[in-house]
Amino acid sequence: MGTIEYAIEAHHLKKQFTVSESGKGLWGSVKALFSAKTRIVDAVNGVSFAIRPGEFVGYVGENGAGKSTTIKMLTGILVPSSGTARVNGVVPYEDRKKNGMNIGVVFGQRTQLWWDLPVRETYEMLRVIYRVPKNGFDETMKKLSAALDLGPLMEMPVRKLSLGQRMRCDIAASLVHRPGVLFLDEPTIGLDVLAKENIRTFLKDLNKTDGTTIILTTHDMNDIEQLCRRLIILDKGIVIYDGATEDLKQRFVHDKLIEVEFHEPPDGLALVPELLVVRESGTKKWLKFQNGNSGIAAAIGKLASMYPVKDLSVREPSVESIIRAIYEKTVLLPEHKDAP
Amino acid sequence: METLKIYLLLALTSVRARMEYKGTFFVFLFAIVFFYFAQLGVLIVVIARFKEIHGWTMGEMAFLYGLLTFSQGFTTLFFNALINFDQLLIKGEFDRALVRPLSPLGQVVFSRFEASTIAHFVIGAAALYYGAKLSGIVWTPQKALFLPLVIIGGVLIQGAVRMFVTAVAFWTLRNSSLVHTVVFSSKEFIVYPVSIYRWGVQFFLTFLFPVAFINFYPAQYFLQKSGENLFHPALQVLTPAVGLVLFALSLLAWKTGINHYQSAGS
Repeated sequence: MGTIEYAIEAHHLKKQFTVSESGKGLWGSVKALFSAKTRIVDAVNGVSFAIRPGEFVGYVGENGAGKSTTIKMLTGILVPSSGTARVNGVVPYEDRKKNGMNIGVVFGQRTQLWWDLPVRETYEMLRVIYRVPKNGFDETMKKLSAALDLGPLMEMPVRKLSLGQRMRCDIAASLVHRPGVLFLDEPTIGLDVLAKENIRTFLKDLNKTDGTTIILTTHDMNDIEQLCRRLIILDKGIVIYDGATEDLKQRFVHDKLIEVEFHEPPDGLALVPELLVVRESGTKKWLKFQNGNSGIAAAIGKLASMYPVKDLSVREPSVESIIRAIYEKTVLLPEHKDAP
Repeated sequence: METLKIYLLLALTSVRARMEYKGTFFVFLFAIVFFYFAQLGVLIVVIARFKEIHGWTMGEMAFLYGLLTFSQGFTTLFFNALINFDQLLIKGEFDRALVRPLSPLGQVVFSRFEASTIAHFVIGAAALYYGAKLSGIVWTPQKALFLPLVIIGGVLIQGAVRMFVTAVAFWTLRNSSLVHTVVFSSKEFIVYPVSIYRWGVQFFLTFLFPVAFINFYPAQYFLQKSGENLFHPALQVLTPAVGLVLFALSLLAWKTGINHYQSAGS
């Protein structure tokens, strides 16, 4: 490592699946056995990006956009139909053993712990599988146990853990060998707010102090806002946004919504020319800031000086609402240039 | 060496995990013992009635049965996890094996190590011992050395058959019916000497689906049954070679299969 410029590289990655078209009912499936009627699905259709060591990247997209398929190619589970991937300089699906030593993987939907064993023994097994020296292992486990509060869970059989407990144990399991790159596929799925928060705090710290490169897929945009400085958005197997999370928000900053409550409803709709009324109800009005010559603050000042304002709040668009708008095609992103 | 230790630990852990359910473990052990004693019992009744089958005496038949069952013991010990392999694929649990720094096949095999197969060894060893004794095998150094090679060859052949049919699951996903037909039903053929079948079946069991090498051909060598050479007498000593070639081919099939793996859902 050290000299490697990129921790993760995807170069025109494509993955096609052959799906056989089976008809309805028993007869349909019998016919499907003998007919060669198949359909080719492009799950990932030419994805390129490069991630530097130490980055924390959010990889999002709707269901079926190709997130998991990309992650599976990067972790060596699937062989791409075309294109190449490199993780720490290793082609994951060609040298699975070497790749396995470099990466940690968490699938939110399945555990990698031994179902019938106490948690502690899973870690002991992983220590042996990853050939971690005993003293280094003890140190790592002490840290993980403190950060993820594993102490009370250690002697419990995995099958008795709650989802949140299991996820904490699974994340620790992916880090026993201190991998340089961590893949997280929906690590917060199905967790309550507090459990999510604990995991986010842990991941943030891991990325900061250990410099672990992390790529995270999620449907929870709070994960992205709180953790990922960089965001890659995937749609129908193609990257439609790759850039700073903050930039995405900046781009939609003119969508700021102002909620104003007046002492008495002002007559006349226009109010201030920079502020467009989008909705009103009783003494409340919702205004959208339109780019004028002066800034939003000046516009609000003007409004407050002219009308009796009782209460006022400015709401920034959340990443969630932006991404929803992108999915729904109510906003269009400029054509995305391929990463290197 | 280090790798071997890791697999051993995997195997021990899987046995321990299964022992968590002690009831199931012992019921299963009992079921195996019962099944094989029943099978052996039928065989003995048949032979006792007809004295011999196609020139094979009770002792010779027992030896034939012993070769099959004893090598099947090792096969079950090592390759039993492959029987339900499609379940790992369907549930997407195979993914895990692909992201770890160990051979995926090794992980599958050693993660469901089957200790209750001890029944096969007991029955197989007993059948071999009494079979050899009853049929009066004259043990020479060559024969004594050849016996373990034949067992290993038989294990490789049976292991290869299991690997081939499980590799099919990488394409078809579900293959349990194929596994049960090929792995379990085919075995019934070679409980009897292959020479009792028509030419077509003999050809099939020798060249296309060469399970006759597990017990029939080597048994001819040990028992010096020169009267009924099928195809060529050299086949009697080919078991280890057939085992190696088949196993190598089945590994290739598995490697190809892994690269066709489509994983499950998200």
